Amino acid sequence: MKEQDLDHCYTVLSDALAAVGGEKASLLLATLSLSLIVRETDAKIVLDLIAQAGELART
Amino acid sequence: MGPDPQTGAPPLPVLIVGGGPVGLTLGALLARHGIASHIIEADEAYCQGSRAICISRRSQEVLAWVGADRPLNAKGLPWTGGRSYFRNQEVLHFRMPTEPTERFAPMVNIQQYFVEEYAHQAQDRFPGKCSVSWSTRAVATRPTADGVEVDVEAAGGHRETLRAQWVVACDGARSAVRDHLGLSLEGTQYEGRYVIVDIEQESSRAVERLAWFDPPSNPGSTVLMHRQPDNVWRVDYQIRDGEDPAEAVRPELVLPRVQSHLDMIGETAPWKPLWISAYGAKCLSLRSYRHGRVLFAGDAAHLVPIFGVRGLNSGLDDVGNLAWKLALVIGGASRDDLLDTYSTERLYATEENIAYAAKSTEFMAPPNFAFELMRQATLRLASVDPRVRSLINPRQSSQCSYPAAMLGAGLPGGDRSASPRPGDPAPEARVRTTDERTHLTQYFGGGFIALYFTDDRPVPDSIALRASASTQDVATMTVVRIARKGIPDATTVVDFIGEAWQRYGAHEGTLCLIRPDGYVLACWDQPDWQALSSVLRRILTGQALPQPRLLVGGDA
Repeated sequence: MKEQDLDHCYTVLSDALAAVGGEKASLLLATLSLSLIVRETDAKIVLDLIAQAGELART
Repeated sequence: MGPDPQTGAPPLPVLIVGGGPVGLTLGALLARHGIASHIIEADEAYCQGSRAICISRRSQEVLAWVGADRPLNAKGLPWTGGRSYFRNQEVLHFRMPTEPTERFAPMVNIQQYFVEEYAHQAQDRFPGKCSVSWSTRAVATRPTADGVEVDVEAAGGHRETLRAQWVVACDGARSAVRDHLGLSLEGTQYEGRYVIVDIEQESSRAVERLAWFDPPSNPGSTVLMHRQPDNVWRVDYQIRDGEDPAEAVRPELVLPRVQSHLDMIGETAPWKPLWISAYGAKCLSLRSYRHGRVLFAGDAAHLVPIFGVRGLNSGLDDVGNLAWKLALVIGGASRDDLLDTYSTERLYATEENIAYAAKSTEFMAPPNFAFELMRQATLRLASVDPRVRSLINPRQSSQCSYPAAMLGAGLPGGDRSASPRPGDPAPEARVRTTDERTHLTQYFGGGFIALYFTDDRPVPDSIALRASASTQDVATMTVVRIARKGIPDATTVVDFIGEAWQRYGAHEGTLCLIRPDGYVLACWDQPDWQALSSVLRRILTGQALPQPRLLVGGDA
């Protein structure tokens, strides 16, 4: 993905989170994560990313 | 506007309201073009505190048109990149585009009062063309049918009315002229606020932009640091949610936070505070920068967040765009609708600046929980996945391209597909000349320049109408031949490392017409001198100059 596309997605996702509010933000992120997961054919990549995100969230 | 009915004095060609860096630079630029101006400034001298400190490559070029680049670069600290940290870990090391052969560093750090001093001194190169009244403020602005009257009040309360053909408001964020005309800035104000502190401390650290997110020294905050000349550090930090901005600038609150951060990064030399201020991010602009015979530039016209250093730099770009157009109109060489393109082009630049600055602000001062959450995720992920690091990049100011339609609509040569296109900044190139000049941009800033890329073709006799060039006549065009080899002469520079031909996408015979402010006006893959003349005549349409004078020579 090009940098400016990443920039745009970052802003759109942030605005989407703000629009649903703090209570529903985690549901939006979980839904988005699942949508992206089903587009990945290699389960190991997904499992590694879940483990990495878990570790980073604890920092 | 005729003479003053009471005194018989002629009106000022240009009254500049505001003697900050933008107004002082405009006075010098107009003086270079032979146009007299007078500047009034409410303060008694140059500004207090360092204020805008990062001068972009483009701003250095604009200042160079009046020779102010030399003291600026002798004093300033050049830099090319920076580092960002999440807590104690480096998560981004960026470099701005730069080449060893370039004339200027991408950025120079220097206190604003030095920029003001150098721009003011530059006016002395053009005696009798620019004067400054300090401690003098505008109290009323009245447009008339053919000029503008401005009531001014000097120190001690003495009042008088100044009459001018044109007024340029460079009087900053709280512009009095803007208020007098009943105009308002429109846009967005962000919640997040920063404290700005200048301190004096010796340091041997490299000159680069430094940013810390959630540093152990100030948990939850964001801290920025820039080195300035004379052992001055600029420290910016984000104040905590709910903290009163007025309270946050009290030294007893500020100094411990600065000390804590200096301790964390190992800067242990003695230090003292010099200046403390507070800042809130704003993306605001007027809808037009021309209101009859009153024009607006710099913070009087638009305000952008500091992140990405687009404030003063966009103001200097404003006056770089305005000065030559105003000079052509006042000199009678162009119709006054040329000044409408100042507004449209610079409004376009403001839109671009605001878009970039808003992106930076979303990261540096997250406007809500969602942007804060995304920033937390980005900073953590950046430590293990370099692909997200671009999101942390501060997107430093860079020179924008204007849509060709703004000044070159329908012009012959306006439809070239190769880069640079009409509306693009004219690329820089290292060249060999017969004088002290070393770069192509040193030919810009006066009149129009035709860059003729050819190894051996002569300039047609029909173009060589005059053989001498006045450095101050903006209504002239100078042809500069660019050859790839050989020895430079009065009309030819040598592109000895091939940068010019490569960056202009040139072939034998390519011809590019460059505006006085260093923007491409038109390009032809094969020389079309007739089309070039007609392009010039589209701009130089005034009564005073029915035929553009076309000059050959390197004396731009």
